[in-house]
Amino acid sequence: MAKNLKLKAARAGHDLSQQQLAELVGVSRQTINAIEKGEYNPTIKLCRAICRALDVTLNDLFWEENEE
Amino acid sequence: MKNVKSNLDEMQEAKLLQIEHNGCWLAFWGLLAAIVAQLFIFGMENFRYLAGEWVVFMALAVYLGEACLRSGIWDRRLKADRKTNLIVSLVASVAAGLILGAVALVRYHSVSGAVAGFVICFAAVFAGCFLLLSLTAREYKKKLAKLEDESGENESD
Repeated sequence: MAKNLKLKAARAGHDLSQQQLAELVGVSRQTINAIEKGEYNPTIKLCRAICRALDVTLNDLFWEENEE
Repeated sequence: MKNVKSNLDEMQEAKLLQIEHNGCWLAFWGLLAAIVAQLFIFGMENFRYLAGEWVVFMALAVYLGEACLRSGIWDRRLKADRKTNLIVSLVASVAAGLILGAVALVRYHSVSGAVAGFVICFAAVFAGCFLLLSLTAREYKKKLAKLEDESGENESD
């Protein structure tokens, strides 16, 4: 799975650390780290929580063109 | 009962499930290995020595089978058809026959006993296994059809 650089950029754009974002969405820092590194595929529920916390849409963070 | 909030998030839950999955199969195959090892040590006439392991092993096997059937799950790769049932029964009966034959040879030093043990065990396990697989495959197909019907009804809501 590819790294989710869009999530990393959006988080940095809000000046949030992984720990702060994790607390906002109610998961552990390791989970946010794993999503950013592409090691964990989050559920739609968590994707939505992250999008709400970062004030972006699902397409902004989790849609990839030409995804195989 | 009071609903206690989980300390784990979804990724940790998934990892815990994977750990429990590995632990379950370790226990399953470990118990089977322990039963076989004890058959070699104590022989077939002292079955009471391995009754505890056997009861836990069978409980685990029955639970896994029953839970999968209730959920309409057969196997990741194998199909619930006659050919698969024949192959699986054949593999199980050859393995069981070889183990029992080897136990007879090691414990009682009898080649004819080992051959007889192999043949009897092979025939009994093959018949039992094939019958059980055929019945469970039939139940699985019934359950799957029922689940498909139910999900079809829900879709129209």
